[in-house]
Amino acid sequence: MSTALDKMKNNCSSAWKAVLVSLFALVSVYGCGGGESTSSNPNLGAPIVVGYTGPAPATADVQAFKINVWDNLSATNRCGSCHVAGGQSPQFVRQDDVNLAYSAANSVVNGQLVINLAAPDQSLMVTKVRNGHQCWLADNNICADTIQGYIEAWGNGTSTTSKEIVLEAPTVLRDPGASKSFPTDSSLFASTIHPVLLAHCAGCHSETSTNKQSPFFANSDPDSAYNNAKQKINIDSPGDSRFVVRLCDLNVPPSDPLDTNTNCQGHNSWSGDFRADANVMLTAIQNFANGITPTQIDPSLVISKLMRVEDGIVSAGGARHEANLIALWEFKTKQGNIAYDTSNIEPATHLNLFGEYNWLGSYGIQFINGAAQASAADARKLHDLIKSTGEYSIEAWVVPENVAQSDRNIISYSSNATSRNFAMKQTQYNYEFYNRSESSINLGNGTPFLTTDPNDEDLQATLQHVVMTYKVGEGRKIYVNGQDTGDTDPVAYGLLTDWSNNYAFILGNEVGSYRADDMNNSAWKGSVRLVAIHNRALTPAQIQQNFDAGVGEKYYLLFSISHLISVPDSYILMEVTQFDNYSFQFSKPTYVNLGTNPTIGSIPVKGLRIGINGKEAAVGQGYINVDTTITTNNQVLSDLGTIIPLEKGFTDDFFLSFEVLGSNSHVYVEADPPTPAAPADSEDVSDIGVRTFDEVNQTMSALTGVPFNNTNIMNKFNSLKQQLPSKETFIGFVSAHSIGISQLAFEYCNELVEDSTLRANFFGAAPYNFNSFDQNVSTAFGTGLSTQKQAVVNALYDRMIGIPATATDNATVLSTTITRAQLMTELVDPANAPAGDPFAIPSTSTNAGNLFDRLMRSCSEGSVSCTTAQGTKDFVKAMCTAVLGSAVTLVQ
Amino acid sequence: MVNANRYHTVIRALLLAGFAGITTSYALADATSRAQAARIYDRLTGVPPTAAVLNTMESIIDSGSKSDAAYVDAAYEAMKNKNFYNVTLVNMVTPWTNEEQAVIPLDSETEGTLNDYTATVIGAVRDDLDFRRILFDDILYVANDDLLVAPYNVPAYSYSSNAHYKTLETLDVNLGGTFGSPAKDVLVSVSQASKTGGELTPAETAGVITTRAGAKAFFTMGTNRAMFRFTMLNHLCNDMEQVKDVTRTPDRIQQDVSRSPGGDSRIFFNACLGCHSGMDPMNQAFAYYNYDDAAGKLDFNASGELDPDTGTRVKKKYRINEYNFVTGYKTVDDSWINYWRNGPNKLLGWDQSLQGSGNGAKSMAQELAYSEAFAQCQVKKVFQTVCLRAPVDSSDRAKINDIVAKFKQPFKASGYELKRVFAEAATYCK
Repeated sequence: MSTALDKMKNNCSSAWKAVLVSLFALVSVYGCGGGESTSSNPNLGAPIVVGYTGPAPATADVQAFKINVWDNLSATNRCGSCHVAGGQSPQFVRQDDVNLAYSAANSVVNGQLVINLAAPDQSLMVTKVRNGHQCWLADNNICADTIQGYIEAWGNGTSTTSKEIVLEAPTVLRDPGASKSFPTDSSLFASTIHPVLLAHCAGCHSETSTNKQSPFFANSDPDSAYNNAKQKINIDSPGDSRFVVRLCDLNVPPSDPLDTNTNCQGHNSWSGDFRADANVMLTAIQNFANGITPTQIDPSLVISKLMRVEDGIVSAGGARHEANLIALWEFKTKQGNIAYDTSNIEPATHLNLFGEYNWLGSYGIQFINGAAQASAADARKLHDLIKSTGEYSIEAWVVPENVAQSDRNIISYSSNATSRNFAMKQTQYNYEFYNRSESSINLGNGTPFLTTDPNDEDLQATLQHVVMTYKVGEGRKIYVNGQDTGDTDPVAYGLLTDWSNNYAFILGNEVGSYRADDMNNSAWKGSVRLVAIHNRALTPAQIQQNFDAGVGEKYYLLFSISHLISVPDSYILMEVTQFDNYSFQFSKPTYVNLGTNPTIGSIPVKGLRIGINGKEAAVGQGYINVDTTITTNNQVLSDLGTIIPLEKGFTDDFFLSFEVLGSNSHVYVEADPPTPAAPADSEDVSDIGVRTFDEVNQTMSALTGVPFNNTNIMNKFNSLKQQLPSKETFIGFVSAHSIGISQLAFEYCNELVEDSTLRANFFGAAPYNFNSFDQNVSTAFGTGLSTQKQAVVNALYDRMIGIPATATDNATVLSTTITRAQLMTELVDPANAPAGDPFAIPSTSTNAGNLFDRLMRSCSEGSVSCTTAQGTKDFVKAMCTAVLGSAVTLVQ
Repeated sequence: MVNANRYHTVIRALLLAGFAGITTSYALADATSRAQAARIYDRLTGVPPTAAVLNTMESIIDSGSKSDAAYVDAAYEAMKNKNFYNVTLVNMVTPWTNEEQAVIPLDSETEGTLNDYTATVIGAVRDDLDFRRILFDDILYVANDDLLVAPYNVPAYSYSSNAHYKTLETLDVNLGGTFGSPAKDVLVSVSQASKTGGELTPAETAGVITTRAGAKAFFTMGTNRAMFRFTMLNHLCNDMEQVKDVTRTPDRIQQDVSRSPGGDSRIFFNACLGCHSGMDPMNQAFAYYNYDDAAGKLDFNASGELDPDTGTRVKKKYRINEYNFVTGYKTVDDSWINYWRNGPNKLLGWDQSLQGSGNGAKSMAQELAYSEAFAQCQVKKVFQTVCLRAPVDSSDRAKINDIVAKFKQPFKASGYELKRVFAEAATYCK
C-alpha cells in the first residue's frame, strides 16, 4: 500500500528515516491476520518540537501565525522536514526566521493562497493535504481538518466566529432519471459479491473471526453481510466502490510500470497482486450492479432537478466554544480502528478501538460491545491540563441505545472499576457524573456520584448533548441539551489534588474490565458523535452555544425549479444532514432565488415530496401538507424537519416533486384500501363460562335473599374479591377460586339461616314450611327421607336450581339442570347412604353417600352438636352451601 | 362472626360432598322457552332469575311465537333487573376506566369501583341515549339529590373526589332504576360542565373523556397519548399496533418522539412512525388538558390561561423532551386532524359528514364516535359480555354486522341504543 509515509520516504530524505524505523515496529500490532497486511501505521506521536532561535515576530499577526500555525507544523514529523529554508517551497515553516515563514504562508502558489484566512478550507496547505499530500496520520481529511483548524485559530483569534454560508448555484443541473437502488433482499448479493467477501475478508470482517473487525460484511449470514456491505458498494460506479478502491483504485495507473502495485492501497490483498484482486472484486460488484433493474421515474410527476448530498454546500454548523478545549474526538474517519483527537492540543490523545463497534456515516462510533481507549501516557495531558486549572467539562453528543443498561461508562478516565478521576455514566434514564477530588470529599472512585433525577428521565435513547462541569465553588453540574438539569452535587466541592496521572481514558467501557472475546460485563451500548474535554467549567451560555452548534456536517442542497416556473435562478433549498447510518434529515425547505433583483410574483406551491433514486420516498414525507404561495426570496416553506431512509448514502439521487408548483400540477389520488379478507374461523370455544366475582356475589345475594351490603357479607366479599374469578373462561378457573366461592357461599348461608326473617321466607314459607330451627337435629329432621328433609331440599332446589313456575312443580323446572331427585339423592336420600369412611375423598359420587348422613357422623365425632338447635342450623347451612357454592350457581 | 368449629365442619362436609353431582346448570343451551329465558336473563344480569320474572319472560317468548322480536322483548324485561346495571354494565365498563384494564382497579379499595365514567355509561344505556354521545357530549350522570340526605347520605358529586360514587355503590339500589316512593331515578343526567366547578365550559367537555375518572386514568402525567390510545382501544377496539400505517406523513409527530431510537432510524420508520403519524395529530386535540394529581381533578387551560412553560394554552406535557427531534412538530394549539381518513385506516369507516379536522377534544371525540369502528366495537364488546366469547366464525361475524345495523336504527329512541345490542346479542346466544 502506498501510504503517506511511503510518499514521504520518496520525497524527503534522511530526516524521515529515523522516524520510519521507529514507526515500523508498531505496524504488526495493528495488522489483521486475515491476509497480507500492507497497511502502514499512522504517526500518532506528538510533533517533535523544534526550538525557535530566530528573530522575534515582527508584528502581532506574525506572533499569532507563529503560535497557531508555525509552532504546530514546524516539527520535523509535520511539515518541518521539507518546507524549511533550503527545502521545498513554500517554506512556510522555515525555522531560521518566522517572519519569512509568515511571508511564505501568505504567498500565492499556482494561483492559490498558501494560507487563505478568509476561507481557510481553500488554503493550499489544506487542499493539498486533503488530496493526499504528506498526511502524518492515516486519514488525509483528519490532517487537513487539523491544519484548517490551525489556520482558523490564527484568523479568528478564537474559534468561535460563525461563518456565513454563501450559496452558489450548482454548476451542472441534472434531470432525475432511471436510478438503481439496492434490492431489499440479499439474494443477488449472495450470488455475486458475498462469495468473494467470504473467501477473502472473513478473516477479520466477520463476527465469528478471532480477529473480528467491523464492519462485518463478511458474515456467513448473507442478510447480515449485505446490510453491512452496502456502504462499501457503489452500484452506479462499481469501480469507485470502497471494496475495490481499498485494494486498488483501477482508475489510477501505476506510477511504476514495472510495479503494478504502485498507487494501490492493497488492503489485505490475498494474492499479493493488488490490481488483480481489485479486478476480481470489481467483476463481482459489476455483476451485482448489472443485476439491478433501474427504477424508472414517473413521467407525470412535477419534479425538480436532481441533487446528491455530496453536491451540497457544506456547512460546518454553528460555531462552538472551544477556547479551553484540551481534547476533541469528532469521529470523522468513518473507518479504521483509531479515533483521532482533533483538538490540535498536543500531545494528541488518539483512541484505539476494540471489540464490536461501527463507524457512523453521520460521524460517530456506535459501540455494540467494544471500547475506545487511550493509554495512561497518551491521556496524561488530561490530567496535567485539568489539574492546572482545577476545573473541567466533559462534553459529548451521545445516543444511548436503550434506557435499560445500568452503571455503564460512556466516558471514563480511570484504571479500573474502582479507581477513576472522572466518568460520565449511564444508569437507565440517568446520567451519572463521577469525580474524584480531595479524598475527604470524593472517594478514589469519584463517589458519591451526582445523578440526574430519575423522575426527570433526562437520559433518552436518542441523540443528546450532555455536558458535565466541575469547578471549585460550584461542584458538579449536569447539562442535557443545553439545560441545567438542576441536580445538585451531593457533596461539597474540593480540589483535584488526588487525581492520578496513571489512568487510561476510555469510551464505552471500563478500563481493564473487558476481554477481547467478551466485553459485555461492562460494555455501554450506544453511539458517541462527538466528545470534548475542556479544562474550564463551561458556562451555561457556552454550553448552549455548543448545543446550538449541533453535531455532524450540514449540507445545503439547492434543487433547481427554474424549468418549472417562469422565474430563473429559482431553487428550493434544503438543509440536509446524515442523521444516522440509515437516514438523512431534511429540514426547512426554503425558496431561494440566486438571481439579481428577481421578480418573483406569486408562485403557488403545494404538496412537496422528496424523491430518491427515481421514486418518491415511501416513508417520511413530511412536507406533503405544504400549501402556500411563494412571493419573496428566501421564503421558508416549512420549519419542520423530516428524515428519509437513505439507500446508497451520499450518492443517492434526490429530487423534489410537487403536487402544485406554478402552473404545473400532479394529482395524487390515494386508492381505497382493499377490503380485508374474512378472518379464518377460530377454534370452537365454550359458550358457557363461570360467573365472575360480582356476579357470584350478587347471585348468592339474589338466591338467598341476603342483601349484598350486609356488613358481614361485604367484609367477607371484600376480603375474597381477588380470590374469585375475574374472567368468564374456564381456562383460568383454579382451585383457589373454588375455595373462595365456597367460603362466600357459606357466609351467605350462615346469614340466611341465622336471620329468622330471611330463613322463614326461604324455608318456612309454604309449601316448604320448614321452621324447626329451634329444635335439635333428630327432632327437626326426623328419620329417613322425612318430609322435613325434603322440605329443605325442595326450597333449595326451587329457589336455586330448578326455578319452576310454581313451587315443587317438576313439570316446569328448568330442563337443563339437575333434577329434584338428583339433588335429593346428593343431600338427604337414605338410599344413598355413605359407604366406608365418610371423610375419605370419594372416588365417585355414588359411594360418597348423602350429605345429611355424612354430617350425622360429625355428631358422633363431636364436632357438631346435633343435640342442639344450633346443630340443625348447621345442617341447613351445610346443605345450603353445598348448593349455593356448586357449579349450578357458578356456571353461567 | 362464624363459629370456627362449625365453619370447619361445614367446609369439610362440602369437600366430602363434592360438587361432582351438582355440575350441570341451566347455563347449557336448550330449546325450551323457559330455559332460553333463563339463559338470556342470566347472561344479561349475571344472576339467576326468580320464578316470577322467568314466568314473565317465558310468557313473552311464547306469546310472541318464539320470534326474535319476542326474545328481544324478553331481554328488555330481564334488563330491568338491577344487576344488569350494577354488575354487568359496571364490570363491562370498569376496565375502560384504568390503564391496567382491570375489572377490579388497583385503587378500588380506597376509591371504590363505580365512578363518574361508569355511571355516565350506565345512565346513557338506561335512557337509551345515542350511545355515541358518551364520548363527546356535555353529559354526566350523578346520584339523585334525594340520595344525598339520610338515610342514604351519599356525598355530593365532586370533580376532585370519587366519594359520591364510592358511597353510591354500597347502597342496595338499582343504578338503572328507581328508589323511594314516589319512585325517583337513582341516576340523573346533568350538564358535566356544571359539575366541574367552572373548570370546563360545555364546549370543552367530551363525555367520559373529561369525566374525573377518565382524566385521572388517562390525562395523568405523560403526554395525554394514553387518553387517545385507550379511547381507541376501548371504543374503537383497535390498539395502536392495529392501526399502524407508516405511509402517513410524519409532519405532526411531536418533538419528543425520537427519530432514531438508540441510534437506529429504521426503528422509527418501521415502528414509531406508523402509530405516531396518525396518533399525534389526533392527540393534539387534548393539548389544553391535564390531570392535576395534587388537586385530584382535571386541569384545563381556558382561553387566556397560558401555561408558564409553553407561553400558550398548550400544556407543558406537549413540549417535553423537545430536543429529541427539535425540528419535529411543536404543538401550538388544540387543532387536530385525522390522517387515518386515508390509507388502510380508512376501513375504520369515518363519517364523511364530518370534516376530519377541528379544534379541541369534543370534535375529535365525535370523529371517533361517529366511525363505523365505534359502532362495531360496542357491538363486539356487548357480544363478548353476553355470549362469554368473541365472535368465532362467519355466522357470528354476520350476526355482529346484523346487530350493528340494528344498533344504528331507532328502536325505543333515536338509535345507537346499547340496550338493544344487549338484547340482540342475548337473543343470538340464548
